[in-house]
Amino acid sequence: MNLLATSINHKTASIELREALYLSSDEIKEYLKHAQGKYFSESLIISTCNRTEIYGIPVSQNISHQEIQSSLLQLKSVSGLTTDNFQNYFSGNAIRHLFSVACGIDSLMVGDNQIFKQVKDSFQLAEENHYAGFLMKRIFDSAVRAGKRAITETAISEGAVTVSYAAVQLIEKIFSNLSRKSALVIGAGETGEIAAKHLKERGIGSLTITNRTYERAEKLAENLNAKILPFNNFKETLHEFDIILSATSSDNLILTKEDIRASMKKRNYNSCVLMDIAIPRDIDPEAKNIDYVFYNDIDSLNIIVQQNLAKRKEEIPKVEKIIDEELAGFLSWFNSLEAAPAIKDLRDFFEAVRAEEFEKNKNRFSAEDQEKVEIITKRIINKILHHPTVELKKFGENGTNNDEAAIKISIIRELFGMDKKNEKEN
Amino acid sequence: MKAVIDFSNYLLPILYLVTFGFYSYDFMKGGKRFTNSKRLFLFLTLSFHLFYLLLRSIHFDHPPITNVFEIFTLLAFAVSFSYFILELLTDIRGTGPFIIIFSIIFQIISTFFITDVYQVKEVLRSHLLGIHVFNALLGYSAITISAVYGFLYLILYKDIKLNKFGLIFNRLPSLEILEKMSFYSATIGFFLLSIAIIIGIIWLPKAFPDFSYVDPKLIGTAIVWILYGVGIFTKIFGKWKGKKVIMLSIVGFIIAICSTIITNFLARSFHSFY
Repeated sequence: MNLLATSINHKTASIELREALYLSSDEIKEYLKHAQGKYFSESLIISTCNRTEIYGIPVSQNISHQEIQSSLLQLKSVSGLTTDNFQNYFSGNAIRHLFSVACGIDSLMVGDNQIFKQVKDSFQLAEENHYAGFLMKRIFDSAVRAGKRAITETAISEGAVTVSYAAVQLIEKIFSNLSRKSALVIGAGETGEIAAKHLKERGIGSLTITNRTYERAEKLAENLNAKILPFNNFKETLHEFDIILSATSSDNLILTKEDIRASMKKRNYNSCVLMDIAIPRDIDPEAKNIDYVFYNDIDSLNIIVQQNLAKRKEEIPKVEKIIDEELAGFLSWFNSLEAAPAIKDLRDFFEAVRAEEFEKNKNRFSAEDQEKVEIITKRIINKILHHPTVELKKFGENGTNNDEAAIKISIIRELFGMDKKNEKEN
Repeated sequence: MKAVIDFSNYLLPILYLVTFGFYSYDFMKGGKRFTNSKRLFLFLTLSFHLFYLLLRSIHFDHPPITNVFEIFTLLAFAVSFSYFILELLTDIRGTGPFIIIFSIIFQIISTFFITDVYQVKEVLRSHLLGIHVFNALLGYSAITISAVYGFLYLILYKDIKLNKFGLIFNRLPSLEILEKMSFYSATIGFFLLSIAIIIGIIWLPKAFPDFSYVDPKLIGTAIVWILYGVGIFTKIFGKWKGKKVIMLSIVGFIIAICSTIITNFLARSFHSFY
């Protein structure tokens, strides 16, 4: 099959180049419009912070990967980008690559299931604007099915693989119900914001933000429906929090062991989790020696992240097996669109209907007439199928890669329910 | 019927071992392979155990509470049955192997040493004795489960403190849940043991002429009861929590086991019936 794919991703280019080539929805539409008819009969683009990939059914055999790359760079000029930064795929390899992307095993963070949604969104964008048609739909349906199966049938997306999410996973190993717990996030920078969002998503009972710059804390608190605590005196109420998550850019310790000890005394040594995800650290690591204080910094959280990544990598062979199955299923369907098997299936289908009806009704006729009825019904079927058979043979003569022929054959198969019949028999 | 009883007696440890195998595999490997089948197998094992207990009661014409090895098979059943109910109610499935192993130990001891008693003392046919033993057994099952959860709490607490994120960290429920399970089991155990003790105090002096308040079994039970009482009281009134209460629960369990061994195998007591 004539599927062409070209990809720039985390394996081939630096983050600067990938970011520079990132295409917005409008830019994608602009490129697809430009490529439609000129390079592709059907096409779409997946563009995220980690990859930009073009998939398309070329209008002729002469369309090359280099031509597509040049046309893309004409739309979005990126200095320093060469053909070496692109991976090129064709036919079955292009489909396999797409399936790998949809299943998350080609991602920078193995098992990242955000890409699954991005693949679906990319197809939707192309389909809504009529750049993706019959073949692309079938390819992407298979890709989405492979992605879904990878998520549900394997553990490829399980476990936290970011420090802030690992912090939440660890907190849930200490407390059973976060809706009854209160958390304080110190620092309203990017890291603090992500961690606060994770806590909110996991249903934290009460969330409070404190930050040196009050306005920043106010903005984050407003977004997350959280409370604000002035940075100058937040230590006075430290004992009220079950979870303290610190992510400031301070060069010095913000909380000493004595601060924590005093807080623990006030809270009658009820368990308290300290998550220090700042570099350099905000909380004195000696605090971990206090009873019922669970202290973790980036290094310890990274242990969880690395363990989960290793577990996800162990799942890759299972995902590859799913990809093989889905690819085989797709190629089997695609090969059935060739003329010869289509003619055979069509004739078999009609003959099966004829034979079934003959068997049901033959006792209505005498033994002598039964033979005549069989000959007549066979003749009728042959006459009905004569013209479709001739037309299908013409498709075959024009080559098996004729996409127009494939579409027509697919319509015939769908009209007579031939694929469903084959699925039942299998 | 006797042949069926003997066969069942030897089959039971095997069934518990297989159930333990399912639970252990699930704990070690994770995944969904035995998530539901292990529970089904535990149910089948418990059903077979109940069938065995009923057969014994019918054939020997008395409930299996007349000697320590009959008590052990009842205890094996009670521990796994309590866990089964707990698993159904809480859907916490990762702790099974740590509890079922006690049923295996109790059942193996019973299987190899149980004797067939056709004639029992009249005193052992009393209904009050039945209620006393029933409560005591369920109480001991509850404190066994409490000690197991307590022990798991201590291991997980240490692992989290030392940043050891291995199998225990990945498979066990949260510290808070383990603490709650241990405390609730201890409270149920304390309540049931209280009933057993009250019945014992009322009935024992009437039933046994050689009854003594300084009997090792009574002293052991009293110590266990006081320990659990202190633990529950201090926990409820917020004085103690976490590791302290759990240590008390584990010590209580060890004393209960030691008391049983001393009473039944070493010391001479009115509480030994064989």
